[in-house]
Amino acid sequence: MIMPPRLRTLALTAHVACSVGWLGAIVVFLALAIVGLTSQDAQTVRGVYLAMEPAAWAVLVPLAFASLVTGIIQGLGTTWGLFRHYWVLFKLLITVFATIVLLIYMETFRVMARMAADPTVDLALVRSPSPRFHAVLALLVLLVATVLAIYKPRGLTPYGRRRQREQRRMWTAP
Amino acid sequence: MTDRRSDSDTGDGTRTPLWVKVFGIIFVVVVLLFVILLFTRGPHRGHGAHRLPGSPSGHTSGSSHR
Repeated sequence: MIMPPRLRTLALTAHVACSVGWLGAIVVFLALAIVGLTSQDAQTVRGVYLAMEPAAWAVLVPLAFASLVTGIIQGLGTTWGLFRHYWVLFKLLITVFATIVLLIYMETFRVMARMAADPTVDLALVRSPSPRFHAVLALLVLLVATVLAIYKPRGLTPYGRRRQREQRRMWTAP
Repeated sequence: MTDRRSDSDTGDGTRTPLWVKVFGIIFVVVVLLFVILLFTRGPHRGHGAHRLPGSPSGHTSGSSHR
């Protein structure tokens, strides 16, 4: 079902806001990860890893799902479709993959928070390069999705070509 | 996802574009790597090997953090 222009613009605004917000949140997590690795203050280091888990549940997970859902609405509600153009399909796959990785990584956030909360655990063990590594990867992956959304490289999927032929036949039919 | 271009402007050739093949290969490799790492190292990437508050096992010093 194709959305009317005003609704389409609203849905697009929501999708861009959620996706860019997700990207921005990852930049913040990267900054936190760097602070956790480099700060000389023990409380700051422990605080960083303690804050990551609730912050991820409050910001990263909702934005990931919001980006996914608004993207699906955009695809289904416009002529782009979800499976007609390769760039839309890749964006969908990237978002689904990144969301799954994030959900799996939430367990790591929980483990890191529990270690940071335990004063008997040495600070060297509390520090972890894992969030920095994952934040950099997530940034790269989401930047690829952003580039796809902006450049919209050409290419119809076999399904998209079939749908296009059907539409042309309908338009040219007497 | 804007509708500024028509379908005919977005590539309706029958051949799969090169960028799709390159992206497809990279995507499959990344997903396979992720699945292999997940099943060989576990989701905690080293942190799960350390002692958790309340867990019976002790520290496993020297394990990777990633």
